[in-house]
Amino acid sequence: MAQPLAALAVAIIVGGLLVLVIGDDPFQIYWILISGSLIGVPNLMVTLQIMTPLIFTGLAVSIAFRAGLWNIGVEGQMLVGAFFAGLVGWLAPLPAIAHIPLTLVAAMLGGALWAAIPALLRVKLNVNELVVCLMLNPIALLLTGYFTIHLLKAPGPTNKLPDVLATAMLPQFSLFSQANAGVFIALGCCILFALINGSTVRGFEWKIMGLNPTFAYYGGVDVPARAISAMLVSGALAGLGGAEEVMGVYRAFFDGFSPGYGFDGIAVAMLANFNPLGVIAAAGLFGALESGGAVLQMTTNISKYLVEVLQFTTVLILAAQFSWGWLRRRRIGGSHQAIGAVAEPEPNPVAEEA
Amino acid sequence: MDAASAPIVDLRHISKRFGSFVAIEDASVDIRRGEIHALVGENGAGKSTLMNILYGIVQRSGGEISFDGKPVSFANPREAIAAGIGMVHQHFKLAPSFTVAENIILGAEPMRSLGRIDVRGAESRTKALSERYGLALDPRALISSLPVGLRQRVEILKALYREARVLILDEPTAVLTPQETRELFITMRALADQGHSIIFITHKLREVLATADRISVMRQGAIVSTIANAGVTAEEIARLMVGRPVLLRVMKRKARPTAEPLLEVEGLSALGDRGEAAVDNVTLAVRAGEIVGLAGVQGNGQDELIECIAGLRTPTAGAVRIGGKPLGRTPAANRAVGLAYIPADRARVGLSTQSGVWENLTIGHLDEFRLGPFLAVGKARRRAGELIARFDVRGAELDKPAQSLSGGNQQKVQVARELTRDAKVIVAEQPSQGVDIGAIEQIHRTLVEMRDAGKSVFVISADLDEIFAISDRIVVIYRGRIVADVDAEATTPEQVGRYMGGVHADSSEARSFGMTKAAPG
Repeated sequence: MAQPLAALAVAIIVGGLLVLVIGDDPFQIYWILISGSLIGVPNLMVTLQIMTPLIFTGLAVSIAFRAGLWNIGVEGQMLVGAFFAGLVGWLAPLPAIAHIPLTLVAAMLGGALWAAIPALLRVKLNVNELVVCLMLNPIALLLTGYFTIHLLKAPGPTNKLPDVLATAMLPQFSLFSQANAGVFIALGCCILFALINGSTVRGFEWKIMGLNPTFAYYGGVDVPARAISAMLVSGALAGLGGAEEVMGVYRAFFDGFSPGYGFDGIAVAMLANFNPLGVIAAAGLFGALESGGAVLQMTTNISKYLVEVLQFTTVLILAAQFSWGWLRRRRIGGSHQAIGAVAEPEPNPVAEEA
Repeated sequence: MDAASAPIVDLRHISKRFGSFVAIEDASVDIRRGEIHALVGENGAGKSTLMNILYGIVQRSGGEISFDGKPVSFANPREAIAAGIGMVHQHFKLAPSFTVAENIILGAEPMRSLGRIDVRGAESRTKALSERYGLALDPRALISSLPVGLRQRVEILKALYREARVLILDEPTAVLTPQETRELFITMRALADQGHSIIFITHKLREVLATADRISVMRQGAIVSTIANAGVTAEEIARLMVGRPVLLRVMKRKARPTAEPLLEVEGLSALGDRGEAAVDNVTLAVRAGEIVGLAGVQGNGQDELIECIAGLRTPTAGAVRIGGKPLGRTPAANRAVGLAYIPADRARVGLSTQSGVWENLTIGHLDEFRLGPFLAVGKARRRAGELIARFDVRGAELDKPAQSLSGGNQQKVQVARELTRDAKVIVAEQPSQGVDIGAIEQIHRTLVEMRDAGKSVFVISADLDEIFAISDRIVVIYRGRIVADVDAEATTPEQVGRYMGGVHADSSEARSFGMTKAAPG
């Protein structure tokens, strides 16, 4: 808890110095950031809209990470999930009470499907999930883009699928932004996974194998199966994030709609220390910075990239501290497998014996 | 006091603090010329730190050091070496692809003109040195081709080449066979007779009594006593080390094994990490109510054999049965048929060092706390608390990470977890490694209790003292094969040591028990 806050504090100081160098008043700029994201219903609604997908993606990264897997393919999983939601939301004529759940489930399946690829390659062939995830992201973007642009494109100039039916839409809160009821699903997921992590056998097993997979395997945990389940759950959460965007924000699948929510999710997860409830706060902060940044851009001559300086500085400090601790642990022996899966010496229990 | 009888090394009131932690407190000891001085103490007593201070690796916080009558202060090992102090570390610092002579001169090369190394000269000087000290070595042999005992000899020669007058040997016997150990002791005595002083760091009391002229005992950073090795017993030294009386050999009645073998290994073969045949057609059995010790020099296939039994390695041939049931291929399956396994590698296999003590005690017992999908966390924590009390895990708190515990207490956590399962067979690998003498006694007693409760106990240890302290029967593994199977009461450490070194057993000594037989060698 203290480390993320300290990193944030340093980032704020660095950003403030930057503003000072440019010749502006840092206090005034920060005040605009805060008021522009949190004060007044319109600003709050924009913040809420941006934080909702970040909750899903941050939670997805956190769940996989806790089980010792670096799922940096959340962006691709979210796109595939969103595409599935776009299809089912558009094509299935059902009453809302059935249509909304079905669309959500379709999105979860889509995300899980895309996550299954790195999960199975990791477990069956011991291929590093980091690399596979990373490569699958552009594939997801281009593949959904191909279907959207060339095969299923809605009439008109925009590269999107036809609109989802009204029965598959999540209600929006106001006219100020596209913030919608999907945020309740996001918060519900965080609470659910806080419960799973703290009080279930599965959550216990994920935690132990994340810290030391050899020990978990020795202790009788079916590590390969649990690794697959963690990745599938993570992918399903990413897919849900895509569904929220399609059903609540855009009301259709748009080609390349995501500004990188999946990647921001990695930063959110780190800032949250991979804690599901912490994800809510971290996603809120990132959402607020984005929405405040837009106001900053409009009202001052400071670029909204200041916001990225704040975000990246925070993450950089966390990552440095994190890597250092991880390297030190590796030298001692009990390693965290998540990042270094490739370099991990055998026997590697996450990979099944052939 | 004349110059000849004055101590060569005199450490006076040495102290060392790391932050607020006091590692060495007012330690004073003198090393005489031509003596073998044993420095004994439990893990963390400060033996290595004190020697690292003398050798210049660590800087002292207080006190004085004099060497050869002059006050000195070595800023680094280079200065210590130049003054005439040599240190042989537990892990050798040799280049495996270089020859003996090249390793010995490394860093102090005799040169010819134009910056060329005088290889011939190096070899002849190496030869002269090894003849002078009676340490037979071929100067042209590659280090990688030498057995451990000879590599150690290279390290000693390396120090002598740099004209060391004081030689610090840090746990030199840990990696040696009994025969190699005996040869080392002969070497040490020969060096001492030629006027060298030897500081011998160890925790093996038998070796101390066999070699040392004087013995200094460390406890909690202080030298508690320096005594002449005359008429002292191992028990007395152990008492000084621990601070209370210690049973070195756990009291146990004679084993009453039933005919039923609970652990059976039949025709087992397995490959090592590099694809070599590590376990070669091993057949053995452990009956209910007996403790069988597996003796062998490290690297003779015992690790791979145990991993096969534990389900962490897949054998290429053969079978393992527990209570007549064949083992599965995963640790989970093996636990289900009644295996408890205390691994040697606590940090990587036996514990999650960053997880809390309660979590380390709960894994392997998850079925006891399963309520549908939920884990009865409160119940698991209560049980963990009871185990901490029952097994006397010092310093343990439920949420404290396992890495904060000392080696002995980490071992107790493993032992508590594994021995509270309803297991038929207990496989204990290096059960006293890194564990203090006081805790060893308790762990051995627990294993004997398990034996008396009708379980099969299989102990693997590189330490012959431990094998003899606890086993009812001893099997010896050499190059992946079982070369001897003997009654512990009817054999001697020397005899077992010969088997460990691959000296072939007189067939009348290798006795067969039931279905157990010595593999054809």
